[in-house]
Amino acid sequence: MISVILTLILVLAVFTLMSKDLLHGVIAMSAVSLMCSLLFVILQAPDVAITEAAVGAGVSTVIFVWALRHTKRRDDDNT
Amino acid sequence: MTTPKTFKQFWGLFTTLLAIFSIGAVLLPIFLNAHPWPTAARDYLAMRGNTDSGATNLVSAIYLGYRVFDTFGETIVLLVSVLGTMGILTRVESLVDASSDDEHTIGTVSGFSLSQEKRRSHTLRTHLLEVVTGKIGPIVLLFGFYVMLYGHVSPGGGFQGGVILASGIIFLALGNPQEGSSGISNPEILVRIETVAFLILVLVFFSGFFMGNGFFGNPLESTQVPVGYIVLLNAIIGLKVGTSIGFMCIAMMGGGY
Repeated sequence: MISVILTLILVLAVFTLMSKDLLHGVIAMSAVSLMCSLLFVILQAPDVAITEAAVGAGVSTVIFVWALRHTKRRDDDNT
Repeated sequence: MTTPKTFKQFWGLFTTLLAIFSIGAVLLPIFLNAHPWPTAARDYLAMRGNTDSGATNLVSAIYLGYRVFDTFGETIVLLVSVLGTMGILTRVESLVDASSDDEHTIGTVSGFSLSQEKRRSHTLRTHLLEVVTGKIGPIVLLFGFYVMLYGHVSPGGGFQGGVILASGIIFLALGNPQEGSSGISNPEILVRIETVAFLILVLVFFSGFFMGNGFFGNPLESTQVPVGYIVLLNAIIGLKVGTSIGFMCIAMMGGGY
């Protein structure tokens, strides 16, 4: 179970790095935080899980989405 | 000419990162399983932690009892991050005010935000958002206060409850039909609560002096209720974290200053 979640975190993190659309990257990063908090629950650290879910999946996603609304969402297509 | 080179650099960096991530993910669990975990600190905490601090939740006994210094540093880091955010926002505002003279910016708000009726948050304010966030906000606030005040018994604590408080404040700020109609999403009140909470935190840290326990010492250590110190610190840290993160988000949404 732990290795499955770790693999999922790895895949989502690589997708966050690779995605051209920044909004998809932000959503994938919030999913990484969600998977991390699930992992913390399995490893019996509920305090850290609450922090990770509230900060990683909640507040930082809000801040990133608001920052994206004021900047450009996509990369320039000249690569 | 330059684009293939940057792409190649990016690709090299990416493959390096991917290799490090994969090796870490594969090897680290095996490496960690090969060695037995150290048990000295765990046994000491299981034996002494509850009687020393009075907290059932030993995590709060650690970060508010044995390692208060780390918590103090963390609150200072949060204070500095709020200061940095406000510094950047007000600098953008002064640049906008100096360089352009159009009517899109009004003087008292930050450069990110437009004037009242052209603000993007108003186009976001649908009836669905108002109904949902306005109703769920007080419940989230209540849950945040629970997590904050019962941190010594159940999982949670000052920082966790404070972040939940901050999401409740953001919900209420998004859900209000008129800006500033609710005092809890008023940035000036939030800033005052934050600074007063930080002052009280430092004063509480000094209070160990008068009982002969030194800085960071628990003044209630010899009494029947040593857990009161942890409850007090949890409440103050929760208020400080919640108001500062909520204030940062409201300021970034253009709600004040």
